[in-house]
Amino acid sequence: MIGMIFILSYCLIGLVRIILQLPKEDRKRFFMSLVNPKTMAKNIRDIFCDCLFHVKLWKRNKLLGYMHSSIAFGWFMLIVIGHIEVLLYTPHRAKLFYFPIFFRYFVAETESTMRGAFFFFLMDFFLLMVLSGIFLAMFKRLQSRLFGMRRTTNPSFLDLVGLYSLWAIFPLRLLAEGFTADISGGSFLTKSLNYVLNSFLSDHTNMLPAWWAYSCALGVFFIVLPFTRYMHIPTEILLIPLRNAGIKIRNARKGFAKAEVYSCPSCGLCIDACPMGVMKTHIKDTTVYLNRQIRRNNERRIEEISDKCLLCGKCSAICPVGVEGDKLRIAQRSLRKYSVNPDYADISSDALSVHAEGKVLYYAGCMTALTPVIRKSMESILKKAGIAYELMDRDGGICCGRPMMMAGRFDQAREMIERNTRIIKDSGATTLLLTCPICYRIFKEKYHLDGIEIIHHTEYIDRLVRSGSLKISRDDRKYVYHDPCELGRGCGIYEQPREVLSCAGELVEAAKNRKESICCGGSLGSLTLGFDKRKAMTENALANLTVAAPDVIVTACPLCRSTFNRYADLPVEDIAETIDKKCV
Amino acid sequence: MMDFGFKISPSSAINLDNADLSLYDELCKAEPDICKCMACGSCSAACPANRFSGMSVRKLIIDLQRGKKKEAVKMLSDCMLCGKCTMVCPRGINTRHLILSICKLYKED
Amino acid sequence: MKENILIIGGGIAGLEAAAQLLKLGYNPIIVEKSDHLGGHVAEWNRLFPDMTPAEDVVSRLIAGAGEANIFLNTGISFVNRLKDSYNIMLSNGISVITRILLFATGFTLFDAAKKEEYGYGVYNQVMTNMDLERWFNTGNDERIPEEGPKTMGFVHCVGSRDEKARNPQCSKVCCITAVKQAIEMKQKFPDAMIYCFYMDLRMFGKKYEDFYISAQRDYGIRFIRGRVSEVSENIEGRLVVKAEDTLSGKPVKVTMDLLVLMAGIVCNPDTCRTAGLVSLPVDSDGFLKSRDNIADITESPKEGIFYAGTCTGPKTVPETLAEARSAALAIHNYIQGLK
Repeated sequence: MIGMIFILSYCLIGLVRIILQLPKEDRKRFFMSLVNPKTMAKNIRDIFCDCLFHVKLWKRNKLLGYMHSSIAFGWFMLIVIGHIEVLLYTPHRAKLFYFPIFFRYFVAETESTMRGAFFFFLMDFFLLMVLSGIFLAMFKRLQSRLFGMRRTTNPSFLDLVGLYSLWAIFPLRLLAEGFTADISGGSFLTKSLNYVLNSFLSDHTNMLPAWWAYSCALGVFFIVLPFTRYMHIPTEILLIPLRNAGIKIRNARKGFAKAEVYSCPSCGLCIDACPMGVMKTHIKDTTVYLNRQIRRNNERRIEEISDKCLLCGKCSAICPVGVEGDKLRIAQRSLRKYSVNPDYADISSDALSVHAEGKVLYYAGCMTALTPVIRKSMESILKKAGIAYELMDRDGGICCGRPMMMAGRFDQAREMIERNTRIIKDSGATTLLLTCPICYRIFKEKYHLDGIEIIHHTEYIDRLVRSGSLKISRDDRKYVYHDPCELGRGCGIYEQPREVLSCAGELVEAAKNRKESICCGGSLGSLTLGFDKRKAMTENALANLTVAAPDVIVTACPLCRSTFNRYADLPVEDIAETIDKKCV
Repeated sequence: MMDFGFKISPSSAINLDNADLSLYDELCKAEPDICKCMACGSCSAACPANRFSGMSVRKLIIDLQRGKKKEAVKMLSDCMLCGKCTMVCPRGINTRHLILSICKLYKED
Repeated sequence: MKENILIIGGGIAGLEAAAQLLKLGYNPIIVEKSDHLGGHVAEWNRLFPDMTPAEDVVSRLIAGAGEANIFLNTGISFVNRLKDSYNIMLSNGISVITRILLFATGFTLFDAAKKEEYGYGVYNQVMTNMDLERWFNTGNDERIPEEGPKTMGFVHCVGSRDEKARNPQCSKVCCITAVKQAIEMKQKFPDAMIYCFYMDLRMFGKKYEDFYISAQRDYGIRFIRGRVSEVSENIEGRLVVKAEDTLSGKPVKVTMDLLVLMAGIVCNPDTCRTAGLVSLPVDSDGFLKSRDNIADITESPKEGIFYAGTCTGPKTVPETLAEARSAALAIHNYIQGLK
């Protein structure tokens, strides 16, 4: 009872605080979205799918999905049916919200009516469902592998209190209802338990401690809830409409970021997903632990965790509640204070200006300068296809700004974006071609080039092949395609490179591909990971790529290419190289 | 003052006895790899900001070791943090993080 | 009956050791995986610092080892450890029982294509030190223009002293090799402008410094202290090489017609495989581990297994030959001790 009041008021205050922390325009947008029938429908559907049925978890692992949805949906139905019962039998009590929870204790009902029997059956059925979920949860503690999880989170003390009280609630409820089943009625489960209990404990006074224990467990659970991972249950209900309203992280700790942090259920799916996880020492640097440290305000650890991350975005891609581990980390990085601030105002634009009226402007980028084969192959493809193009950075240019963005220094990044935007607009080009996914992502997300098409070379080659400007000869080699983080998860480009490669030869897939592809380990995202710490990650990613025994590893990122090339036994190529060799 | 027919101008030599290296020592603690630099110049040659502000991680490290803070900080003004220097460093120094640490520790004048 | 001694590798170390062991009255058996004796030296043209033809050295060594049993195109399939000897199965089906194994497995040249920024295999004018020696021998290489390069460069330390190339060690011989090759190119093409891009010049051996001085003074070869960071191509298809001239503190850019990469010495992967058959330890530098790096460089930590030459680290030709002789003597003493 106390627990319930506590949790309700806590949630309400939390809700108001998060909404108040949103910037004004975001808040407005949020409220507008709430009354918009389309997003409203989406909100309701998402809340049902994610919070009750856990559709995403079902897709990942059936047992895991069943465990969550049985507990959540079962409990939800117990509450709903409990309320219906109260409304039906004792409508005058319906205002007391605790009444339905302890309905069996207060009301002596018989199952003589059909209606009663039906509800009793439903109640028992859902109780059984919840119990089966709880049983699976206990089993999962011991054998997480069966649930598709190699490693799970290390729970904190309060998490354990919450966990055990959650586990205790339903068996105790069963026990309590079992004791009272002959007075207040029950169905297949509670009735039969009642017979068993009656056979050796005939005294009805036993029911009192059982009901007390049940209500205590319930109370403890709700009181500790705000301080445990179970806070994700109420927060997620808020996060879903916020996300559907299109709100993004603007402040590292407040508003949307806070909603995400508290929505983290500490399930630990991100631990297995994290490419750094191949080394045990990095396990505590995964998103679950970031969220935990942010809740605890442990600044030292927050900095450590957020700086180490490769920003591959895989934890965000697989997170069942949609916590964006990579964006959260960039936001944390943006809190750093620097006393030296680069400023590009003095860079003269004359030296950098290009003329590409009506042509394709090819921006190779910093990383491509270190893998000249990509630039050479791309230029050769353009020539073969008869495309008029101009290089934007033959002698080097201004960086795209994405690496600066990743370091959380938004002002500097914005300045570079402005400088580049001016050069590109002044060039008169119609298309901007990029061979580096790191550049591509920021050009897509942050540049406003009005009308100039921004295209990655995987898309461009695909287009050239489709339009017939490029003819590719097939061979019988097996190609495996590695999805670069920034191109795949970052920009959602998965199909075009595969289309192109299947024209060149046989395309095989890596064990984990597309959305779940494993970062090569060379990412610029990590600020602190030294070169020597990355080898294990690259080798792990290579092992993942070579399961189908390919002849060539193909990727579409200069950084992935050089990282893999360092450790691979197979040839590693950029898609431009592969295609250039095969087209006439 | 008496005129000796010549003036004493400040020496251009680096006097390591007087150099204030307290910040450098602090930097070394945060970035122990800084000592691994063998001054090959790969970072400077690869740097896209080099042509604008003469940015060079090699020179940056040397300047800080010699206590020439002002020169060092000035070079950083056009660093774009693109990470090319980290990619080419044969000693595997995380120059990108080194630059961020310098930006944190040292002050612009 | 003469005692069998199995020598793995028919390079200069294996040949010299075999010659010495023959003189000491043993029966050396050389197993060579390639189709020729003399290893890398046989593919070289002339040797520093006296420009001795490599062919002379190799043919003298082959003559010295002439009475040994030599198996070309042969590898080691597996090794059985017997009570006090080894039963070694060769890939040609012959099995050898011996108490002594001598590893003279040599090195591999670093694969220059792994340093992508230098464009080996991408640009038509980029070659390795090995390619250049081959050209000295055969005169056949389309990368070298008939009239000679107007400007050319040598990049030192390609795949040496480079953690990114997974080889932090100095390869020892490339500095002097680059100087030698630069001089040879200048002799062939006196009008060519030749640059050497180095990080440190390590002229440690007999007469090396003289050689270096001669390159500077007599041949006008220009030394630039700075590691090449990028190689690109200009519109005319000539190479643009970028480095920092660290001595003047300024970036340098040179347009060239030929770039030679001084690929370093790395441990032979086959050596590691064969060493694995008899569970020999590998040192932190990737080469085979000796019992002691000062006193017992030719002895492995295992009884009856010896080393000679570059399987334990980069070495020059005279060092390798001296080590081969020393290994032969160590083997002799070991066998004497067994009696």
